[in-house]
Amino acid sequence: MRKRRRSETGPKIGLLLIGLYFLVPLVSTGAFSFWEGGNRYGLRAYIALVHEQQLWQSLGLSLRLAIETILVGLVILVPAVFWMNLRVQRLRALFDFVSVLPFVVPPIALVAGLTALYRGPSWFVGTANYLVVPYVILALPYTYRALEVGMRALDLRTLTEAAQSVGAGWLSIMFRVIVPNLSTALIGAALLTIAIVMGEFTFANILLFNTFAVYINYIGQTAATEAAALTLLSFLITWLAMLGVLLTGRGQVQIGGAR
Amino acid sequence: MGYLEVEGVAKSFGPVKVLSDVSLALEEGEFVSLLGPSGCGKTTLLRIVAGFEEPDRGTVRLAGTEITAEPPAKRQMGMVFQAYSLFPNMTAEENIRFGLKVRRVDANEQAERARELLELVGLTQHRGKYPHQLSGGQQQRVALARALAIRPLALLLDEPLSALDAKVRVQLREEIRRIQQETKVTTIFVTHDQEEALSISDRVVVMHQGQLSQVGTPAAIYGEPDNIFVARFVGAVAELPAEVVDGREGIVALFGRKVRAARAQGMAAGTRIYFLLRPETVRVGPEGANGGLDGTVAGRTFFGALTSLRIELADGHGSVTAAMPSDKASELAQGTRVSVSWADDAPRILRRE
Repeated sequence: MRKRRRSETGPKIGLLLIGLYFLVPLVSTGAFSFWEGGNRYGLRAYIALVHEQQLWQSLGLSLRLAIETILVGLVILVPAVFWMNLRVQRLRALFDFVSVLPFVVPPIALVAGLTALYRGPSWFVGTANYLVVPYVILALPYTYRALEVGMRALDLRTLTEAAQSVGAGWLSIMFRVIVPNLSTALIGAALLTIAIVMGEFTFANILLFNTFAVYINYIGQTAATEAAALTLLSFLITWLAMLGVLLTGRGQVQIGGAR
Repeated sequence: MGYLEVEGVAKSFGPVKVLSDVSLALEEGEFVSLLGPSGCGKTTLLRIVAGFEEPDRGTVRLAGTEITAEPPAKRQMGMVFQAYSLFPNMTAEENIRFGLKVRRVDANEQAERARELLELVGLTQHRGKYPHQLSGGQQQRVALARALAIRPLALLLDEPLSALDAKVRVQLREEIRRIQQETKVTTIFVTHDQEEALSISDRVVVMHQGQLSQVGTPAAIYGEPDNIFVARFVGAVAELPAEVVDGREGIVALFGRKVRAARAQGMAAGTRIYFLLRPETVRVGPEGANGGLDGTVAGRTFFGALTSLRIELADGHGSVTAAMPSDKASELAQGTRVSVSWADDAPRILRRE
């Protein structure tokens, strides 16, 4: 009996400690965001933020970049992963390897390479759109993994051949058969990309674009309580994205798929 | 000239030769089964006909047109696969309409055709269900309807029943035959199950090591095998080594005694042969009965109406299987000494190399 009790309380204490480790900084940040000096607490920081034009601009920019990153990433990766799974499975190891490269190459090295290497039209290199290039690379491991899992769950060869046998061309196969059956994977990949792009600091800061993360950093240096409020806001965005990933992943069983 | 013709087709995957010089012609409306063990090349041959594999040599012709280089989507052939192949994001009806939709057939016509086909495969009340809400048998019926929706010039079935349980398999194979006869669509059916092939085909093609071993009606394949592979693969058979003694009279020497075998007539004396006995042609009598081979009942397998007896021949001459009504077989317990015999025209005779 004694032994059993100990085995139950041990993990509970562990979980509690881990929970505290995550919660204490958040709660403190939250409390600080309401501080108005002295003993006064209120919503002043939040109200100030809402009226801050630059916040909305940077948030809008980051969301736009997230959407562009999702589109570019999926347009490149969906056909590539489809083709690899269908025709050249021997390249799987290479795909896996390439997909984890962004973990190995530090962003600072990547951004140095980008500034040195790229020459291009000013609408691209001269604007924030340029950030989509490193962001696609940054999101690659997550997008690739989500698509790979989604496609492996489908019997791609049989579905493709079944569609071909009744007369479907590649476009029909892609948009009527493959993509609709990957909806869970696609939503997962998109939400993970949003979470990454919303929080990305290094590239944007060095390339001098005022994205959401750069703005948080700037506010942190100029208005401390507003920075705390903003940090919580960015956490909220990331959490919502993660919650979305969890919920769509769970829905998979009910939506149905290849058995 | 046939309606669907394969001529001189060869195919290798790397160093492995899968098909060598295969030629086959189907008449319009014919139901032909490709039967053979795993790795004999039957599925590869079907995939070449469908356009999913390209032959190294040879041609495929359909309705007088060569289609060897046509992509699968252009061949107007419906196919049902071994694995469940319905599109998971579409209902049964949407699956059936898919081929018409990509061909931009008028929506009313699509609906009408889907209704006809759902009725044909008996799934009208399941039209709105998704694949995961259907049983395996129902899924394969929808797959069949989807293949037929485009009014294919030929229907290709790649072991469509092998994932189903025994009872559904028998039901569905009969249904496939009925539907094929109603629609009169030229059909190739790939299977490794001889009972399936024999029960529903107009003709059966037995394949072995990338070649056609024998092509014929089910009765001919079973009753008159051309070679020892077909004899062994289709149905059970006892192979007894023998030698022709008198080709004019049809007398052969079997384990040192002379027996009559009508089918040995015309063969040269001294020809080494296999003396083949199908279980249902073997008669079992009391030991020492006139002219029979003596043996002992060594094993029994009960199949319901029939029981199969394995009879070990005396002097280590091998064994013979006899199939008999179960009530009769019940009198012959394991270890009973018996004598086996047969009608003169029962044994099939094949040359032995």
